[in-house]
Amino acid sequence: MADKPKLSMYWAAACGGCEIALVNLNEKILDVDAAFDFMFCPCLLDTKKKDIEALPDGAIAITLFNGAIRTAENEEMACLLRKKSQTLIAFGSCSAEGCIPGLANFHTRDDLMKAVYLDNATIDNPGNIIPRPETEVAEGTLQLPAFYDRVRTLAQVTDVDFFIPGCPPEPHQIWNVVSAVIAGAPLPPKGGVLGAGRSAVCEECDRKKEDKKIAKLFRTYELVPGKEACLLEQGLICMGIATRDGCGALCPKVNMPCTGCYGPPEGVLDQGAKMVAALGSIIDIGDTKGLAEEEIFRRIDAVFGSIPDYAGMFYKYSLPGSILKGRIS
Amino acid sequence: MKTGVYFCKCGTNIADKIDAVKIRESLLRQDPGIHFSTVDFMCSEEGKEAVAKDLAENRVERVVISACSPRDHETTFMRVLSKAGLNPYLMQMVNVREQIAWVTEDSGRATDKADRYIRAAVRRVQLHDALQKKEIDICPDVLVIGAGPAGLKAALSIAGSGRKVVLVEKSPVIGGLPVRFEELFPTMECGPCMLEPLLGDVLHGEYAENIELLTMAEVTGVVGSYGNFAAKISQRPRFVDMQVCIGCAECIEPCPVSAKNTFNSGMNDRKAISFPFAGALPNAPFVDEKLCIALQGGECRKCREACPVEGAIIFDDSAKVFERNIGAIIVAVGSDLYDCTKLPQLGYGKLDNIHTSMEFERIMASNGPTDGEIRTTAGNAPASVAIIHCVGSLDPKHKEYCSGVCCQYAFKFNHLIEKKLPGTRVCHFYKELVIPGKDEFGLYHQARSNPQATFVRYDDIQNLSVAGGAEGTIIQYQDNSGKSGSVKADMVILCPAVVPAEDSGRLGTVLEAGQDRAGFFEELHGRLDSAQSKIRGVFLAGTCQSPMDIQKAMNQGMAASGYILSGLVAGRKLEIQPVNAEVDARRCSGCRVCVAVCPYTAISFDPEKKVAVVNDVLCQGCGTCVAACPSAAIKGNHYTNAEILAEIEEVLK
Ligand SMILES: Cc1cc2nc3c(=O)[nH]c(=O)nc-3n(C[C@H](O)[C@H](O)[C@H](O)COP(=O)(O)OP(=O)(O)OC[C@H]3O[C@@H](n4cnc5c(N)ncnc54)[C@H](O)[C@@H]3O)c2cc1C
Ligand code: SF4
Ligand code: SF4
Ligand code: SF4
Repeated sequence: MADKPKLSMYWAAACGGCEIALVNLNEKILDVDAAFDFMFCPCLLDTKKKDIEALPDGAIAITLFNGAIRTAENEEMACLLRKKSQTLIAFGSCSAEGCIPGLANFHTRDDLMKAVYLDNATIDNPGNIIPRPETEVAEGTLQLPAFYDRVRTLAQVTDVDFFIPGCPPEPHQIWNVVSAVIAGAPLPPKGGVLGAGRSAVCEECDRKKEDKKIAKLFRTYELVPGKEACLLEQGLICMGIATRDGCGALCPKVNMPCTGCYGPPEGVLDQGAKMVAALGSIIDIGDTKGLAEEEIFRRIDAVFGSIPDYAGMFYKYSLPGSILKGRIS
Repeated sequence: MKTGVYFCKCGTNIADKIDAVKIRESLLRQDPGIHFSTVDFMCSEEGKEAVAKDLAENRVERVVISACSPRDHETTFMRVLSKAGLNPYLMQMVNVREQIAWVTEDSGRATDKADRYIRAAVRRVQLHDALQKKEIDICPDVLVIGAGPAGLKAALSIAGSGRKVVLVEKSPVIGGLPVRFEELFPTMECGPCMLEPLLGDVLHGEYAENIELLTMAEVTGVVGSYGNFAAKISQRPRFVDMQVCIGCAECIEPCPVSAKNTFNSGMNDRKAISFPFAGALPNAPFVDEKLCIALQGGECRKCREACPVEGAIIFDDSAKVFERNIGAIIVAVGSDLYDCTKLPQLGYGKLDNIHTSMEFERIMASNGPTDGEIRTTAGNAPASVAIIHCVGSLDPKHKEYCSGVCCQYAFKFNHLIEKKLPGTRVCHFYKELVIPGKDEFGLYHQARSNPQATFVRYDDIQNLSVAGGAEGTIIQYQDNSGKSGSVKADMVILCPAVVPAEDSGRLGTVLEAGQDRAGFFEELHGRLDSAQSKIRGVFLAGTCQSPMDIQKAMNQGMAASGYILSGLVAGRKLEIQPVNAEVDARRCSGCRVCVAVCPYTAISFDPEKKVAVVNDVLCQGCGTCVAACPSAAIKGNHYTNAEILAEIEEVLK
């Protein structure tokens, strides 16, 4: 067993869905086990941090790191696993781009603490206690990992070899990567994306696409979309146009617009900005020649006014990794 | 990669504000390999020569020109690079004069700003691609659609340069509207006489051989782009061979069928075989298929029996389709008039003796339905005529624009009424009076000094109503001061708004040339390029672009041909500038976001490969699609993301 290459998986700020996705390989997990020594995964195995520290540098062949960097502990583990791994892969949207935890970047740390520990209707906290890195008690000093002001992606704290996008990555894509590695297939240059396409979800979506012009937007609950036509053309904001392909267009297949979890397509620096630019280009506000500026604004607002949360819509998965990164303080 | 920075002092213009020594020091800190050189006046002959020599001597590979606005001299310096054997796109120009020296007061800050801009340019230029201009073969021939004043003028000037012109006219006659007008403002020239030499030249003048005239024809399909279009033209059968017919009109009288003559606004009858009106050119009648007994399967052959020449009337004539290759297209399909029944209070179509201006032109024409006599339906000369200007024009409920010609022809009518029926009272109802130009005031003054003429100004056409009654037609009005009154008129003439020709929408679709909000063909730029559409190679002339008089229509015909004569030269290739958009098919997801955003319709969708394709003849490099493409599949050459970001990064450093 010792001669098999070591495989590890670690979770930082994440929901655990990435581990589930790995387990969803089903019986293929046995192939993984046959090819690798799966030796570290706090969710599934009992290996401890000290066991990793005891390994020589580069002892782990591949680490799948899921989760964003929210706390000092996340960062510490990221750096440790970087040192101990030959190949460090940012696995899943949180680690690759920040994902849902990253939406917290629209608020300060203090706002977040206040919302969770003080203003929260379901919490009873008469002493107004907020977790701090160090707390003095009679027995000595209690320590908690520091909670950073900002969520960062894995690549923003350490050197990353590859990225596997998705919230979570689709099992068939995980298998594609694993089987390619087992077969010794050539990998793309460092920094590349594995287990996904180069284009956008529309590439894999079977819906019928026309030249786009959209006069009215709907929220998903307002419309039962037709089965044939592109959802975006029907007025549902489908992020598929600005989202990397690889998932197999699962959501549009079942009448749900893509929400963007595979992140930006190759070459796109900022998924949210791209989506906004594309939507701005295709909304239909009629002929504006000779119209007063206010009237043009009014028409634009009439189309976009129905979106309740721009940031949550366009940067749901990609805020920390985007050009924007978060709230400008 | 050796980068040369050339700093023009522009005399004192730049040097007084921006410290070249400091710039040089900063650049050398950025990259000690940079070659920095100052020039007194770079755009002078000596300046250009010095730069060219320096480029060669120092083996410079990338060039930053720190000088004035690229609008002034970008091409000047690109030529310097070419002369020195460098690809001209390996240059970046920084406008330190207009954007810094002239606007930044403090010289320290000006120098800092210039330093940032120049460093940014150095970063950017290192990413430039050595872009190459492409060249394609072209066809210099031209398709002109519409044979009114604008189209005829264009066709003649192009044919005169020795090129082939295909002139497509929908109706059986050429000359457009003015051949139907007895006299023309501003100088009361006879319409048909003024146009006759033009029409004659098209039909049998010196260059007539270069003009292929297809009447009763329409353009039904166009593919390709500037330099190489292929057009499909469908022609309805005329049933008369224009080459054989001598135009004697012997055939007309014997024809037993008659119907309303649309060329006279239905005010008299014509036969199944007829000339639109006396003097119509080409001088050959046409047969209305729906009216003709023979063509409906009957026995009648009366016209052919009366015809003195063999083979002029051909009952087995049929529709034809022509395919022609051309390099450019001029749209000159003219305009129509607004439907006056949309203002029901004016009584048009319901009451007698209410005419549109077009009908009145025909009434006044000596070849018209009344041989030029102004008569009411009862057959009397009217004692009073009301002319209502601005019908549907300058009216947010109808057409918001001014039609530009109505006031002038209304005063032309005033003049002709006064001449033909002295003593007739004429009342002008108007919203605004518009008579620009150096000759146009004459008829206006004449109308003002006509003792029988009165003028009523109204605010809203809703304040006018026309009613018939026992005593005749009465116009009730409230004028712009709020005063109410009424005027009796034996005849009412409405001056309707000029509107786009009937099927310009369909033609616009065929040509992919856009229409504006009012439906007129949309120009590239209202002031700079009104004779050009947004589609490269499709030009506009006459009232299909905007309401205008004959003078402007003729001028625009000339303008359109000018573009073509200078831009599309036989034997010369068409240069395709390389600063354009390019689709990376591997990244394109086929989402079709980009297709409709291109203002020049340069993007199409390949249904086989399921990717977008940019036509580089049409692409103007505006970058709209580059910004729109959500999967970064479109690259804007010379404005790539990498280039722009490098520039921004360095400026902000
Ligand atoms: C009542 C009236 C009086 C006027 N009096 C004067 C005047 O006195 N002096 C003056 O300077 N201006 C006058 N004008 C303005 C003048 O008529 C226009 O300026 C002039 O006709 C414009 O010429 P054009 O070639 O653009 O269009 P048009 O004259 O309208 O000619 C367009 C031609 O295109 C043809 N056509 C239309 N559609 C198609 C198609 N799809 N395919 C092929 N062919 C097509 C038409 O049959 C027509 O022959 C008057 C206008 C009106 C309405
Ligand atoms: S539904 Fe979404 S993914 Fe499918 S084609 Fe439309 S935009 Fe693209
Ligand atoms: S917008 Fe981009 S991805 Fe979509 S069709 Fe156009 S080129 Fe392709
Ligand atoms: S760059 Fe502009 S002109 Fe060229 S294809 Fe794109 S949108 Fe059209």
